[in-house]
Amino acid sequence: MRYKGLLLLWLLTDLAVFIGSYALAYFVRVGWILSTDFPFEPYITVVAISAPLWLVVLITTRTFALTRSQGSMRNLAYIIYSSAVGTALFALGYYFFYGLFFSRMLLLYALVISTVTIWIWHLLYSKFQRAMLRKDPPVFPTLIVGVTRESRELIKKLNKGSNPLKPVAVLDGRGCKDSDIDGVPVRGKLNKLEDVLNEGITHLIQCSDLEQVLNLLSACRQKKITYMLLPSVLGIVERDEKVESLEGQPVTMVGPRESKLMWFFK
Amino acid sequence: MHAFILAGGFATRLWPLTEKRAKPLLPLAGVPLIEYLVRDIPADVPVTISTNAVFQDAFEDWAKSFGRANVEILIEDTKSDDHKLGALGATAQWIKDAKIDDDVLLLTGDNYCGFSFDAFLASACEDTTLIAVHDIGDLSKASAFGTVIADGTQVNGFEEKPQKPKTTLVNTGCSLLPKSVLPILIDHAAEHPDNVGGVFEEILNRGKAIKCFSFSEPWFDIGSFDAYIEATKELVGDSVIEEEGSSLTDTTCSGSVVLGARSKVSGSDLTDVVIFEDCHIEYCVLSNCVLDKGCQLKGIDLTGKMLREGTKLIRDE
Repeated sequence: MRYKGLLLLWLLTDLAVFIGSYALAYFVRVGWILSTDFPFEPYITVVAISAPLWLVVLITTRTFALTRSQGSMRNLAYIIYSSAVGTALFALGYYFFYGLFFSRMLLLYALVISTVTIWIWHLLYSKFQRAMLRKDPPVFPTLIVGVTRESRELIKKLNKGSNPLKPVAVLDGRGCKDSDIDGVPVRGKLNKLEDVLNEGITHLIQCSDLEQVLNLLSACRQKKITYMLLPSVLGIVERDEKVESLEGQPVTMVGPRESKLMWFFK
Repeated sequence: MHAFILAGGFATRLWPLTEKRAKPLLPLAGVPLIEYLVRDIPADVPVTISTNAVFQDAFEDWAKSFGRANVEILIEDTKSDDHKLGALGATAQWIKDAKIDDDVLLLTGDNYCGFSFDAFLASACEDTTLIAVHDIGDLSKASAFGTVIADGTQVNGFEEKPQKPKTTLVNTGCSLLPKSVLPILIDHAAEHPDNVGGVFEEILNRGKAIKCFSFSEPWFDIGSFDAYIEATKELVGDSVIEEEGSSLTDTTCSGSVVLGARSKVSGSDLTDVVIFEDCHIEYCVLSNCVLDKGCQLKGIDLTGKMLREGTKLIRDE
C-alpha cells in the first residue's frame, strides 16, 4: 500500500512537473508576461492534454521500476527519449487543435527544460521514495542466500544506496561464522528458509549454492516471492550478460564486451 | 539394557529433504531410516529416541504406526540448531533424568547398519565397552570418518577424520556402554556436549578397555545427498520399488528406482531416482534425483537434484 501510494504520488507529481516545465519554457521564450500574440491559456491546455500521453511513454520505458537507478545514463536516455516524444506530441496536438505552428525555439526550450526538470525531480523523488520504502517495517524485505565476497559487496551497495530492496536476513547453505554482514543478521543455513520466508520476505537474491536454484525457486513460487540470481552463481563474471529470446525461448546470453552501439544490432 | 537413539539433528546438509522431516525419518528404500535400527533391537530392550521439539509430532506418529510398545520419544527442549543440547549432552541428560543404571545400547539415528544387533550384542564381554566398526576398505574414504585403531578386537585408539588414516576401520555410531562407564560419559558431556566420538577416547584414557565388533555388511552414514543415493542403490539394486497406489506408465527405469505411495509417473525415463509420495511426473528424464512429496514435474530433464516438497515445474508444450 505504501509503495502504491508513493508510486501514484510520483506519477501525479511528474505530470505537474511536466506541465510546469512547459509553463517555464513559455515564460523564458515569451518573457514574464501573458502575451496576447501567443496566448498562454490554449498553450497550457494543449500541454495538459499531451502530459498524460507523455507519461504513458515514460512508463513504457520502465523508469518507475523498483530496480531502476534514476541516476544512471540509461535512465537519463529514456527520459530524453520520452521528453522528445512529449514535445512532438505537444506540437502535433497544438496543430491539431488550432491549425498553427509556432516558435521552434519554444519547442527546444520545452524539450530541454522538461528533460532537465523531470530528471532532477526523479533523482529527488527516488531518494525520498527509497527512504520511505526502507522505513521500518521495510516494504520490500529481502533475503540474501549465500555468503560470498560478491554478496557482501551487494549488501553494502543496497544499504549504501538505500535501495528499496532492504536486506533483512542472510542464509548460507554451508554455514557462515559471521553473525551479521553490514548489520544484516546471518540467520543460519537453508534449514531456516521456511521460517525466514514466513516473516514477510518479498524478494530473495541468490548469491551462491547453485545446486539449490530449483528449491529456492520453488519456495519463492509457493510464497509469491520475487527471485533474483547473481550471474556469478552460474559462473558468469566480467562479461556482458542479458536475457534474450531465441524463437520465443528465453536464453541467458553472455557475449564479449563490445561497442555499446553494437547492442542495437546483436 | 536400554537402547538410546540420537535423532535430534537438523541435518542441514540434506536440505531440503530435511526441511520438514528429521533425517532418521527419511525413507530409505521405502522404509524410514530409524525403522531399520529399531526393528533389529531385541524386543525386550526398551528404546528411547531422543529428538527435538520440531520433530516431536513426526516421531510420535511414526512410533504409533510402528507399533512397538516399549519405544519412548524423548523431546530435547530445543527449537533450532543454535540451541541444541548436543548429542552427548542429550544422552547424559537422559541418563541423569531417567536414573539409568543399566547398560546402554547407544545408536545414531542417521546410520544404516546392515549387521544383526543380536550378533553384535552376543559378542559383548562383561563390563566392557563394545563398538561396531566397519571396514570401509579404502584409506582415502576413511579420512571422512572417525577411525578406530585396533589390534584384533582390542581397541587401542581413535582418530577423528584423519588426513592420513592409519586404518580402514571406521566407527559406525553403534556402541554398547556398560553401566560402569556412564559416569565417564556424563563427565565428558559436561565439557564436550557435541562430541560423541570423544567419549570413547575418554573411556580409553581412564584405563577402561574397549572391544570392537567388526562387520562387513553394508553400513551407511546418511549425511549427504550422495550418501543417500549410494545407500538407495545398495539396498534397492537394479530394481523398482513401487509403494501402495503408485503407478508407472510408459516409463523406462534403470538402476534403483523407488516410487512413493500414490505417485504417478508416465512417459518418463528414470535412472537412480527416489520419488516420495504423491508426486506426479510426466514426460521427464530424471537421473540421480530425489523428489520430496507432492512434486509435480512435466517435460523437465534433471540430473543430480534434490527437490523440496511441493515443487512444481511444468513445461507446457
